[in-house]
Amino acid sequence: MEIFFILGIPVLLAISTFFMRKQRVFGIINCIGYLAVLFAGVSLFKGIISTGSAKAFLGFLYLDFLSAFFIFVISVVAFAVALYSIGYIRRDVGQGVISEKKAGVYYLLFNLFCFSMFMVPAVNNLGMLWVAIEMTTLISAFLVGFYNSKESVEAAWKYIIICSVGIIFALLGTILFSYAFSISGLSKSLNWSDIVPVAHILDKDILKVAFIFILVGYGTKAGLAPMHTWLPDAHSQAVAPISALLSGVLLKTAVYAILRFGMIIIKSMGFAYFAHLMILFGIISLAISSGFILVQKDLKRLLAYSSIEHIGIISIGFGLGAPLAIAGALLHVFNHAVTKSLMFFGAGNIVSVYKKHNMNAIRGVVKAMPFTGIMVLLGMFALTGFPPFSIFISEIMILTAAFTNGSYVMAALLLFFLSVIFGAFVYHFGKMLFGNLPKGMVVSGEPLSGKLAFLFLFSLICGLGIALPFIKKDLLWIAQRLLQG
Amino acid sequence: MQGIILFTVLASTYLMVIAKRMPALIRGFRYQSFCLFAFTLFAASGHDQPDLYIIAGLLFVLKVSLIPYLLYRIIKRIKVNEDLGLFINPQLSLLWALVFTYLSWIFSTHLIISNKITLTSMLAIAFFIVLAGLFLMISRMSALAQIIGLLVMENGLFLLASTVSGGMPFFVEIAIFFDVFVSVVIMGFFVYRINKLFTHIDVNKLSRLKG
Repeated sequence: MEIFFILGIPVLLAISTFFMRKQRVFGIINCIGYLAVLFAGVSLFKGIISTGSAKAFLGFLYLDFLSAFFIFVISVVAFAVALYSIGYIRRDVGQGVISEKKAGVYYLLFNLFCFSMFMVPAVNNLGMLWVAIEMTTLISAFLVGFYNSKESVEAAWKYIIICSVGIIFALLGTILFSYAFSISGLSKSLNWSDIVPVAHILDKDILKVAFIFILVGYGTKAGLAPMHTWLPDAHSQAVAPISALLSGVLLKTAVYAILRFGMIIIKSMGFAYFAHLMILFGIISLAISSGFILVQKDLKRLLAYSSIEHIGIISIGFGLGAPLAIAGALLHVFNHAVTKSLMFFGAGNIVSVYKKHNMNAIRGVVKAMPFTGIMVLLGMFALTGFPPFSIFISEIMILTAAFTNGSYVMAALLLFFLSVIFGAFVYHFGKMLFGNLPKGMVVSGEPLSGKLAFLFLFSLICGLGIALPFIKKDLLWIAQRLLQG
Repeated sequence: MQGIILFTVLASTYLMVIAKRMPALIRGFRYQSFCLFAFTLFAASGHDQPDLYIIAGLLFVLKVSLIPYLLYRIIKRIKVNEDLGLFINPQLSLLWALVFTYLSWIFSTHLIISNKITLTSMLAIAFFIVLAGLFLMISRMSALAQIIGLLVMENGLFLLASTVSGGMPFFVEIAIFFDVFVSVVIMGFFVYRINKLFTHIDVNKLSRLKG
């Protein structure tokens, strides 16, 4: 039942942007709408944990634990972004960067984007899953090219072309899956709930080929290296709140799609094939991103490469396959979404005050904006896996699983890259946050809605970091159930 | 009959690979889509499936008429140099295409279990079209050529889906058509913007973002 609220509210809000004149009022209404979505998301998640799975809309929508979890993550980030957007868009309109009318366009696109992302975990049909993911690309391309500068249009073009090609390969993989399904003598269907129960009788060779296409295709969208080239461009050029959505949840929806197919593969031929591929791509992503993070000059690109790193960690977590690792990877999906959104909000505030992305030219953020500065400092430690924040817990779970699994080389590599990235982050942010203000800087106050968004996200980061050790048992139970399909 | 139609699909793809100028490429795409339309119509009459008639109709309306029309309109409106900007000249492109055809034949003989020759060749042609689309996207500098390359890849997938798995479920097929159409419109919109900001549509020169 809650799913109708979750899908309906963004649509209603999108329609109502046509009738709203004042962007300021609309921002607040938008935010209230997403608060409702957040509550619906939480209650859906609770409901699914107790009931197992549910179908709605004549079997068009199918919800199980995995999809409810992803919907929950999206609703948390969407609410935070809606909250942050109020102040951000008002400031942009105030500074004359965008017109009042364009602010309306922003809210329209934002709602459509959220709707398409909520569709991804909710649909049952694997073909519709593809369509939903392609819709997220098409809509968010406008948000990447929103400022209409040379850089942003270039980023949007690269984004739309690279992701569309990637996703064509995913469609090829989907067709091969349906081919494997049709030659097994069953009736024609692409519904996930129909395919999974018969996964063990499907032709294994075709599934193997198909999964490679799926991994390359959706991996492009998820930002797995070496298919990640669109990601730093798009993340750095998008409107700041949208960067948070892109990095926090858009990448995760593609991970969700990979997992859906991965579960069919696991059921059909055991864990090894899936595990090897996921770990391989995860390690490559970590290696490439850590190199780029070390030498990075642009603040938002730095955060974008850090997203590639975290996607790598998540895919390693799923690849390890032990219940502890799966639980860690799922938690990491949530933790990274929350922490990275906070960092992008901070970066948005910094960029809009300093008017530049170059980290060498940004000095003394803590003096200029004490609240943002301290939040970014704490967020930086949270993002690089410092206790007591939540990412520390999920990373330690994955690492423990790696050691108990006996994959020592992989664990060592993971630790090595994590420490390199930690060092690079402390170096870059230390220079940026402290020091003296550049001459002639005018310091202005920070909007209240922005502060609230920071506090909301930060309470989740901190609270979960402290609460997690106590609820580990439930998590393991959930992960075990997920493994059973 | 089916064999002849498949052959024309193959021939039209070769036509696109050696095209040097924009209108020729769009014409090639139109031929290819028309052949796919004929193929679907033929299959519809053979199997007597009403769904397939609707899909064939959509194919005709969208890919044979509307999308080429839109692309022609873009060329006229932006008044840009109609050359595609080839990284690889037509002769070499032709050689590449031959290699791709051979590779996709090998690939499909390995993938298919039954040894029906028509099914294998259909699969090979579908894979070849996907590869040719990718090749067009990589080896041509014009942004419009990238859009067409994407559409060609999608055509290949359509052929693949309708041969090996007897077509996607009906409403998925409709959704994909809609999706392709929307993506062409949006990409066309971005081509306008690129042309306005950069005064060219040469993607090779889009290199402001690095690192």
